[in-house]
Parts: sequence; C-alpha cells; structure tokens
Amino acid sequence: MDTVARVDPDDLEKEALAAAAEARSLAALSEVRIRALGRNSALKLALRNVRDRETGTKLNAVRETVEAALTAREEELARAELEERLATERVDVTLPAALVGPPKLRPRGTLHPSTLVRRDVEDIFLGLGYEIVDGREVETTRYNFDALGFPDWHPARSTRASLFVDDDTMLRTETSPAQIHKMEERRPPIYMVSIGRVYRRDTIDATHFPIFHQFEGLAIDEGITLADLKGTLRHVMRQLYGEERELRFRTHYFPFTEPSMEPDVSCFNCGGAGCHICKHSGWIEMGGSGMVDPYLYEFVGWGAEEYSGFAFGMGIERTAQLRYGISGLRPFWENDLRFLRQFR
Amino acid sequence: MRIPLSWLREYVRVDADAQEIVGALSISTAEVNGVQRVGVPGELGLFRVGHVLEAEKHPDADRLQLTSVDVGEDRPYSIVCGAWNFGAGAKVAVALPGATLPNGLTLERRKLRGKVSEGMILAEDELDLGSDHSGIIVLDDGLDAGTPLADVLPLVEEVLDLDPTGNRPDLFAVYGVAREVAALLGGELLPLPGEEPKRDGDEPVGIGIDDPAGCLRFIGRLLRDVSIGESPPWLKARLRHSGVRAISNVVDVTNYVMLTLGSPLHAYDHDLLRGGLVARRAREGEQVRTLDGVERTLSAEDLVIADGERAVGLAGIMGGEETEVSSSTANVLLEAANFEPVGILRSSERHALRTEGSNRWEKGVDPHVAGPAATYATQLIVELTGARWTGAEDVQGELPKPAVIRLRPERVGEVLGLEVPENEQAEILGRIGFEQLKKGFRVPTWRARDVTREIDVIEEVARFKLPEIPFTLPRREEMFGRLTREQRLRRQVEDVLVGAGYAEAYTSTFVAEGDLRLPEPLSAEAAALRAVLYASLLEPARRNADSGAEDVALFEVARVYRDVGHQLPQERWHVAGIADGGFAEAKWAVEQIYSALGLESSYERTSEPFLHPGKAARTAEGWLGELHPALLDGAWGAFELDLDALAEAAPEVVGFEEVSPYPEVRQDLAFVVDEEVPAADILASIREAAGELLRELEVFDEYRGEQTGEGKRSLAFRLAFGSLEGTLRDEDVAPVRASIVDALASRFGAVLRA
Repeated sequence: MDTVARVDPDDLEKEALAAAAEARSLAALSEVRIRALGRNSALKLALRNVRDRETGTKLNAVRETVEAALTAREEELARAELEERLATERVDVTLPAALVGPPKLRPRGTLHPSTLVRRDVEDIFLGLGYEIVDGREVETTRYNFDALGFPDWHPARSTRASLFVDDDTMLRTETSPAQIHKMEERRPPIYMVSIGRVYRRDTIDATHFPIFHQFEGLAIDEGITLADLKGTLRHVMRQLYGEERELRFRTHYFPFTEPSMEPDVSCFNCGGAGCHICKHSGWIEMGGSGMVDPYLYEFVGWGAEEYSGFAFGMGIERTAQLRYGISGLRPFWENDLRFLRQFR
Repeated sequence: MRIPLSWLREYVRVDADAQEIVGALSISTAEVNGVQRVGVPGELGLFRVGHVLEAEKHPDADRLQLTSVDVGEDRPYSIVCGAWNFGAGAKVAVALPGATLPNGLTLERRKLRGKVSEGMILAEDELDLGSDHSGIIVLDDGLDAGTPLADVLPLVEEVLDLDPTGNRPDLFAVYGVAREVAALLGGELLPLPGEEPKRDGDEPVGIGIDDPAGCLRFIGRLLRDVSIGESPPWLKARLRHSGVRAISNVVDVTNYVMLTLGSPLHAYDHDLLRGGLVARRAREGEQVRTLDGVERTLSAEDLVIADGERAVGLAGIMGGEETEVSSSTANVLLEAANFEPVGILRSSERHALRTEGSNRWEKGVDPHVAGPAATYATQLIVELTGARWTGAEDVQGELPKPAVIRLRPERVGEVLGLEVPENEQAEILGRIGFEQLKKGFRVPTWRARDVTREIDVIEEVARFKLPEIPFTLPRREEMFGRLTREQRLRRQVEDVLVGAGYAEAYTSTFVAEGDLRLPEPLSAEAAALRAVLYASLLEPARRNADSGAEDVALFEVARVYRDVGHQLPQERWHVAGIADGGFAEAKWAVEQIYSALGLESSYERTSEPFLHPGKAARTAEGWLGELHPALLDGAWGAFELDLDALAEAAPEVVGFEEVSPYPEVRQDLAFVVDEEVPAADILASIREAAGELLRELEVFDEYRGEQTGEGKRSLAFRLAFGSLEGTLRDEDVAPVRASIVDALASRFGAVLRA
C-alpha cells in the first residue's frame, strides 16, 4: 500500500494551522504555504491518490480551511509589516515644509465656478450697501416654514420634499430663515443678502441634486416700493449679464411675498430674438421675488405697515450655468480637475 | 392645464391672436409653457364633408370597400376605404389628393388593388381628434356634401399650455382663463355656459352630508334612460386636445364640464347603488375598489361617498369600480359637490393617488360653481344621451360669505411705486369680478381663498400694471456694504490655497455614518450630516488620480455639524485639503494659511487612525499629516482646520514694530541633537535664551551622517540680531550666543558644531 494514503487529514490541518499562526513574517508564511499546499505537500499528494469520495471530500475541506487561514494570516502580517515600516518613517513635524519636503511646485489652483459667482454676487451687493449673511443650514421648521407663511398643507413641509433631522428640525429649503433671524435681531433699515447651501429631497440626475446654493436678498426700510425692487434687480442683472439687459416681471405666487413676481432677463445670447438658451422666448427666468408679506412683520412683532420691503431669491448654480454655459448640475459636484481647472 | 383656444374663444370675444393672449397671460396671470398647433398642418380646403353615393366590396380585396363620394365637385370621387361602419347615404369626412394629414402624410391619387382611390375617408385618429381607428367618422346627416370640413370639426387647434400657481384654482378651468383674457385684453366675457333642460319628474335622489366640514355642498341629479355611447367628434376632440382620454358620453360630459368650469363631477350607475348617497368619513379599515382597479383600505380621515351600505368612491379623488358607468348603464346619478381642500390633499397623499379631480379640490374650488357645473352637465347629458332628467337635490351648509375688503387708494401707490388713479383701480378690479361696495371691494367667490387682505387686493391691481412700474432704487440713510471678518478670512484662505496649487471642490454635506442621522436618509451613502470635511475629498482625489490627473490637490471650505445636545447642531466652518506627494504638501499649505492670517502656528506630533503614525501633527485649530496608506493608495498630504477658531485667534490688526536704521548681525549656528528633540523646542529655547536682541530666527538645514552619529541629527539655525539703539558689536552678541549654546546644551544635550 501507498504510504501517502494513510495520512490523517485532521493531523494535516492541525499542523498547517499551527505553522501559519507561528509564522512571524510574510516570507516565513510563504514557506508555510509551500509546505502545506504546494505541489509536493502531503495534502496535495493525498488528494492526487484519493480513491473514495469520502476521503476526497474530507481532504478538500481541509485544503479550504488551510487556504482561508493562510490568507487571513497573510493580511494580518501585511498590516503589521506596514505599521512597522510606517513606524520607522518618522519626520520632525515641527520642521518647516521646505526641510521635510520640499513640497511640489504646483501650477496655480482654481476657485470653483460656484465660488466665482458667489463672490461676484457678494461684491455687487456690497457695492449696493448690503451686508452678506451666511445663516445656519440646519433650521427649525418654525423659521423655515412658519415664519415665512407656509400654510400647514404646503407640499414643501412634507418629508417627500424636504430633509428633516427630526419633526421640528430640518435642513433649510431656502436661505430665507437667515432673514427672519436678522429681523428679530434688529429693526430696519435692513439690507442683506443671504447666501449658501439649501436642501431639497431630489433624486440625483443630470439636472437635480439635493444640495444647491441660493442668494436671497432682503431690503426693509421706510417707503420701499415694488419699483425699488424692479430697479435693484435690473441693476444686479446688468452687473451679472451685461449692461444691455432688460428686466421684466411676471406675476407669480410665493407664501412669503405679496405681490409676488418672477423676474425675467432679456436673453444675453440672442438679445431677445430667441435662441436655445431662452427657449426661443427672448427672456430667461431668474428666480422669484416680491414685496415682503406683512405677515412677516407681524411674526417678528412689528406693525404691519411700519416698514415695507422687498425680497428675492436666485440660484448660484443656475447663474453659473448661464454665465459659463454649463449644462446640467453634475459637473458642479463631480470635482473633476479637467472641469475645475478651466475656471481661472 | 391645456386649453384649446377655440374653446376659450367660446367664452370670450376678443380681438387678439394667440401670441397676444400668451403675452398678456404670462405677465399678469400665470406661466405659459407655450402654444402648440395641432391638427392639419397645411391647406384646409382639401378637407370636405362627403356624401357616400355608392359603397360595395372591393372585387379583389375582402377588407376594402369601394365607394363613390360626392365631395361638392362636378363629379363623384372614387375612394377605397378600409372601414365598414358606414354605407351608401352616410355623411363622412374626406381628404382629397394633395391634402396633408396631421401625421405629415400627403395624399395622392393612387391605385389600391387595381382600383383608383382619389383621397381618403377619415377616421378620428387620422385627424388627431381622437384615438379610435375602428371605423371612420360618421357625420351628421343634415350636412351638405362639399361643406368645408373645418366648419364641422376642429381640424386645426392652437392649444395653450398654462401653468397656474396653486393659489389660483379658478385658472384650472377654461372659463376662468377666459375671464382673465377678457379682463387683460379688453374682451367681452360671455355668460357661464349651461342652461337647465326641462325636468321630467321629481324623483327623490337621497343625498346627504354627514361631514359638513369635509363636504360643503352635494348636488345629486338623477338622469334616466341614458343611452351610453361615444361622444360626438367635437367633444372627443376637445378632450383629446386638453389631454383627457375620451371614455363614453356620460363620463366625457363630466370631464368636459370640469375642464370648462373647474368643478369636478362624478357619474354613478344608479341601478348599482343601494340607496342614496352620503358624504361621510370612512370607517377605519373600510375598503373600496377605485376605478383604477386598486383595492384601497381607508382610514377614518378619508372622506368617502357612500350609498346605504358601503363606500362607493374616494370623495373628490376617484370613484369606485363597482358603481362605475358602463355600456349597460341605463340610469345615472350625477354628483356635483364641493370638498374641503386640505382633507382631499391628505387623502391623495395617503393613497398616492393624484387625479384631475384631486388636483383641483386640493387648491380650493369655489363652492358656488357646483350649481352651474350640475346645470351644464345635466344639459349636455340630456342632449347627448337622450336621457330624461327626473330628480334633483342640492344639500349645502352655509357657504362661506365673500369677504368685503377695504382698499385705501393711496396704498396702491405706496406699495407699487406707481400712482394708479382710484377709478382705474376700481376698473381693473371690476373686470376680474371684484364688486365695489361702499365699504370696499367684495371678493369674487372664485378668489375667496386667496384674497383675504388689503395687500392681496393690491396684488390684483399690481399684476395688471407690472410693465408700467418704473425702475428706481431705495433711498438710503444707512449702508452695510462690508464683508464680516469671518467672510474676509474665508476668502483669504481660499486664495492662499489657490495660490498653493489647490483646486476648490464642492462635496456633499451628507455621509454614510455619523451622529446626526437623518431619520429618512437620501440613500445609504447620504444618511447623516458630516462632522469632518477631509473624508469627502478622498473619493474625488482618488478619481482624479485614476483618470491620470497630475498634481492632484483639492480643498473645500464648508460647514461641519456636531450634535451638542441642543435642538440645533453646532455648525462650524472648516477648510480641508488633500494633495498628492505626502506630508510636506500638507505642511506647506497649513504654514501658508497661518502666515496669511498673521498667526503664529505651533505643531505637535499627534496620532489619528486615518494618518500615518510618524507623519501627523496637530495645531491649535486642526491637524495635518500624511494620510494612512490603508486609506488611499500612494502618499497624500491632508489637513483640516476650524476656520471659526482661526478667525478668533487671528489678530485683528497688524502688530507693527519699528524698523531699525542700524545693520543686523547675522549668525548661523548648527547643533547636533537627539533625533527625538523637535526643532520647534530648540527654536523656543533659542528665542528664550536670546532675549530682546533677536530679530529673526529660522531653521534652515537638517543633516544626518557619520559626523552626527547614530540616533542624532544636526539642525542649522539662522539668527539675526539688532537693536534700535545702535549697531551691535561682536561683544554685544557674543554673550547672547554663549547663553544660547549653554541653554541648548543643558536642556537637550545639544553640541554646537564647529
């Protein structure tokens, strides 16, 4: 009889597992692997000479167990060796970069197109004497909805439209809560623009992303009129899209303004003749606007007619899309350097 | 809301084309998505009413008929036709050779199976008037052959696509839009359509309201001996152009009247009802199978229409399948009602079921329009189905009284910045149904929900005057045009990093795991608010490197969120960066930031699981280091700093020191010290020992070699001494230098190299 056939599979397994556990380096472990599973190992010889199914099954099970143990031990040792190597790679972290490096000489970087637009918008309003307010992103429903006159049944209050942290706390759906905070903080004159991230529950596709950026203006003073809103927006639009731009209002509805209008700007591409950018209407929709609803004054404890004011809101991404001709929203969030590096 | 203009013009006489109507509506009423021309694209004269003189089977084709048709010419035309729902004597719709059909096909004289065919007898789908192709259109017998078909059927239609806002339920009706057009363009608004037909009997209907809060009004009308069938072509065409599917004459009438007046209706097969109808709340768990075939389990908040035994419909949203009007229906119970909006909205959300009906109810339909709707629908059903109207009931609680609102004429000018004369204000309001009384203006019932305050009335005037309002700027007495310190600092940090070669990234606020979890996450990867920024930059860095980008360096300035036990989390501005190349990259960026802000930075060795254990440092405002290679392949420098903390620490004004007119004395000193002694500690000791003569100090070289010995290194420092009093001499500097050497020797065992 062949001597190999008498090998006890359990002994083979025990022996191989012990050897794997004892191996102290990857090199040692690779020797263990050859001895336990190599071409001439007792296990492989036994497998080659197997006569009955039962022994075959048993030996294969042993082979799998040993294989798994070796792989696990290999990872363990690799990790330990990495940590050991890293431990020897110490630098004096207090030395200047020039001495620990030196760092690479890199070509100049770039600001994100949304930041370019944001700064431009900020500068335009700074020029108009407005303050820039960042505001919180996580807000109470009281400031995001109640204060702004959203009725109980308004669809934006649903979890299908907005992102909630709990029943009364949510990610702001517009930057307007910052305006209410400002109104509570002090009496008019208030001239402010709030800018920042806002959130909606949108499924991500080419034209939707659950996060975008808005800039919303608010002016409250004595004697502010809708004509002032019209003049202010025309100035801002001309700054953004060119001196020849015209502005018109279309009536609309928003909970926090009355009257409410959507401003359109004459198309900067075709000058009003009609093209793909303005969908052949000659006008481009820019956002929302209106006169502050007296409800808001009462909410912060002022008289309904002590002051008057206007408010408007527009998208930073949309402005960047129009200005640079970017289609879709994906590029704004992909952070592809081939895209980002174009914005010098 | 799709509105065929021919329909609109039935209610308003106005001398304006489609473009003028669109222009006026879009400025003053609602967004217009466009006007679509549908139907026959070209010459209409080739479409005629035909009189079929002869019709027989095509000798060589079993499925075709051979006809001879009088089309008003001096001879009959031979036309081969595939339909069999007519015979000799029928009046049909014919297109002659040369005519172009709505699908773009231009007809020619041609042979079909050997027989000449001069044109086509048309089915409704071929004229884009309906979807049926089972037979051709059979016209009214009274028509004369040769009559232009356009006089009989709407061959061409301009369809307005209007997108009214939620506060204007009156605009979800052709008549409501006609009212606006009349007011805007100075047209004449014709009276509401519909006239009660003669009543033939006075049967009880059995209408009840069990929930007056949910159902303000319930009109039931009984119509007997209806003959269910197809609607006439004009009606089917109107529905088709409005985007509503034609079903049968009775159902089509309910839809047509809803589209006309804005008040949805429903028709029941009266013989399938067990007793009369009542509007009530559903019993918890009660079931109804709606017309879409879905078995719906109701809750006690759902309003239903029920007969004596069971719910037969989800009120205002969708009727029930069991009592649906079908081809075998002989008697109809017509419902015209008024439902409270919020309840309908909630039910529609709960059952994820939005219909033309619910879409109107949830915006608040005028309860006064239920009457005219019932009248018009009754009239049309009687006319189109030959039914007899045998019973009527109108159950209503107290309908809301229209508000009377005082309008101070000067207020209009104060809000608009444009003076509008008082009589013009009244004239505008009058045109849209506001009645001027002594006490003010009475709001029309169809605007009652939206117009409740003086400012709302002012808006009504404003929307007519928008183009005339001038462009002005506010008169100011105070200005605020300056960035805050924090905002300036953020810009500064961004600019520093751009200068250092970093591209700015925008990454998601959301991460897979964190303390601030969203109860209903966007996805598994977007389930919590982030507490750090750097982790969001790993993936973009990896992808850019994988796609072959060189000098990958990204940064982001954004907020992070921390649960601090209050309702609102703490939000702080952070900046984080990542750059290929390792520790020195991060160090350089952080040094640049601190230096730009005029801040001293101090670095201490630290350890973080995500950082290389030997290349990680902490500053007072954050950390920097080389990323642990297990996190991202290759050597990457990374850092994250708290910008709010930097803003607090940064000096507000520069601490200026006078420049000395006397030359400085410069000295380089190199010491051999133990590896473990950080350069920063030595710098601190030198500064302390050197005292006030020291002007500048930097470490400029690190060296290891045979001369330094095992476990030791040499560090070289450049020092500059100076004084405002005069030029320093060697004997002034020598003692300072000696005390530095002594201090380093005693503190660190440092040996000065010759």
